[in-house]
Amino acid sequence: MKVLVVEDEKGLAESISDYMNKEGYICETAATFREADERIYLYDYDCVIVDLTLPDGNGFQLIETLKKLLATTGVIIISARNALEDKIRGLEIGSDDYLTKPFHLSELNARVKSLIRRRNFGGHTEIRFREIRVNPASRKVYVNGQLTIISRKEYDLLLYFLSNIDVVLTKVSIAEHLWGDNIDSADSLDMVYSHIKNLRRKLLEKGGSDYVRSVYGIGYKFGES
Amino acid sequence: MKLLAKTNQIYLAFSLAIYLFAGLAFYQVVRILIYREVESRLRVERLDFEAYIRLHKVWSDSTYFVENKIDVDPVSAHAPQTESFTDTLIRNRYDNELMPFRQFTFYVPIQGVTHRVSIRKSLIQSYQLMEVITATMVVCLGLLLLGTFWFQGKLSGRLWHPFYETLSRIKRFNLASATPLQLDKPEINEFRELNEVLRKMGDKMQQDYRSLKEFTENASHEIQTPLALINAKVEQLIQSEKLTETQGRWIEDIYQASRRMARLNQGLLLLAKIENQQFTANHTIDLTVLLSEKLDDMEEVLIHKQIAVEISQSMPFEVQLPPSLADSLVTNLVNNAIKHNHANGRLELASDGEKLWLGNTGSALVSSPERLFERFKKEGSSSDSVGLGLAIIKEICDNYGLQVQYQETSGWHRFCISRKPETE
Repeated sequence: MKVLVVEDEKGLAESISDYMNKEGYICETAATFREADERIYLYDYDCVIVDLTLPDGNGFQLIETLKKLLATTGVIIISARNALEDKIRGLEIGSDDYLTKPFHLSELNARVKSLIRRRNFGGHTEIRFREIRVNPASRKVYVNGQLTIISRKEYDLLLYFLSNIDVVLTKVSIAEHLWGDNIDSADSLDMVYSHIKNLRRKLLEKGGSDYVRSVYGIGYKFGES
Repeated sequence: MKLLAKTNQIYLAFSLAIYLFAGLAFYQVVRILIYREVESRLRVERLDFEAYIRLHKVWSDSTYFVENKIDVDPVSAHAPQTESFTDTLIRNRYDNELMPFRQFTFYVPIQGVTHRVSIRKSLIQSYQLMEVITATMVVCLGLLLLGTFWFQGKLSGRLWHPFYETLSRIKRFNLASATPLQLDKPEINEFRELNEVLRKMGDKMQQDYRSLKEFTENASHEIQTPLALINAKVEQLIQSEKLTETQGRWIEDIYQASRRMARLNQGLLLLAKIENQQFTANHTIDLTVLLSEKLDDMEEVLIHKQIAVEISQSMPFEVQLPPSLADSLVTNLVNNAIKHNHANGRLELASDGEKLWLGNTGSALVSSPERLFERFKKEGSSSDSVGLGLAIIKEICDNYGLQVQYQETSGWHRFCISRKPETE
């Protein structure tokens, strides 16, 4: 899977590409419009992450070119502008998602994964992790082959974990993933805790192992270690 | 009062006074002229009378057969002898009517005896003349008044037309739109200059507005990007296995602070955008429905905090708002009602079509209710709130013809949104 990050802020581009590399993607970065333009002509990417404001051009233009060249490439816009018009325009010219800065890397990662899943397999692929099996099309979860009934938010939470295996997810990023940016933190952090507790309990009941670990009080990590 | 009505009023009052004065003066002049004429004739008649007396030495009434023309009476020599002109009324012999006369009294000795002689001339002709002249003048002046009034109305209407045209264009002028203020070039210098100045002002305002807008966007970009960087680095940092518990807590604090700053920045930018009226595409939105939907969305939070929601009346409450602001308004209202609620509290939504209430139970207010809508006014010291929610609610309401009021009654905090009464 090849991912291109078009972002003029070097440090941010680096963080994104490190994160993506760790997730097993081949990640390349472009800091300017020209560089990005060149790369999309030369190589095919599965997913392109585009910042709208570039020093020498506009991200929208890049997306238009990209869509002409290879329509199956997924596009995620990352922008500092939280403007509805930008979001609408982005969707109109064929981008798949819009993230307002600052965002959580884990959130970006989850969106990239979900996008690639939709693009490549039309959503008809199952996500497996050990004894856990999730069917995104029917939103059903199986543990050891048994159907496990979990709530809508618990499902979203599980999918978020499965998209970010062995990664520490902050409580805030989980809360914002589940309830959106406008959630007020004080209550939501408690809720995150109670959802995680319930999810754990339900997975354990069906004979699954406990994969969720609390880290430094900042967040949680889902993984084997 | 309209400018034209005002000038008409002044003009009318002024011309009435002038015409009245002119009428009176004219009447007086005519009267003096007539009197002078009559009096000079009476003087001539006196000379005739005196010539007659010199010739005949005696006066006989029969010489004058016309009635009331002359009276000759002997008077004692000691009576005061002053010549005088007087107005007098004398009854007509035939139809018993009082007639106006001008009378000239003088004293003449006839055969050694002083006689008072009064000769008279009828003024009836002159009076009739004066009446006719006055009537003609009144009619003429009246017509003149009406005519000039009409003409003046037409004229000022035409003269001021460019002014009213300019006024209506300024009223329609929208700062946020890309079209510049377009004004005519009228032939009258003052209006042309006015339009010129206004056009320059309009252009300057639009330019300032545009640069403010650009600044807003740029500031957003400039601040959000470093924040994104901090966030990303912190997220990477917490992936490292070697952190101690204390370091973890520090990082957590940095992380929380950067999130808060992002929120704060977004809140301030939103406020600036509302103030600059950068949201223009209004839609008809039913706030009652939107609020109920929001409450459904927040169900889990509500269950978590064990807050019971009551929707007592749900008449539609339709407003004209840009959709993103409507969402912001509703989100902030609901968040506020949840945040300041206590566990096992209640939340109430009601709308009667004219007003919309969102009430919540909660502990009594510490700060003064008047300052509730100010920026960075925080109730309590919860650090996770940036204190812009109510300011945003108020700003949205103020800019879109709504008003928001806060009431506290027996443990209930209610925010009431209603339409601003039309001021125009």
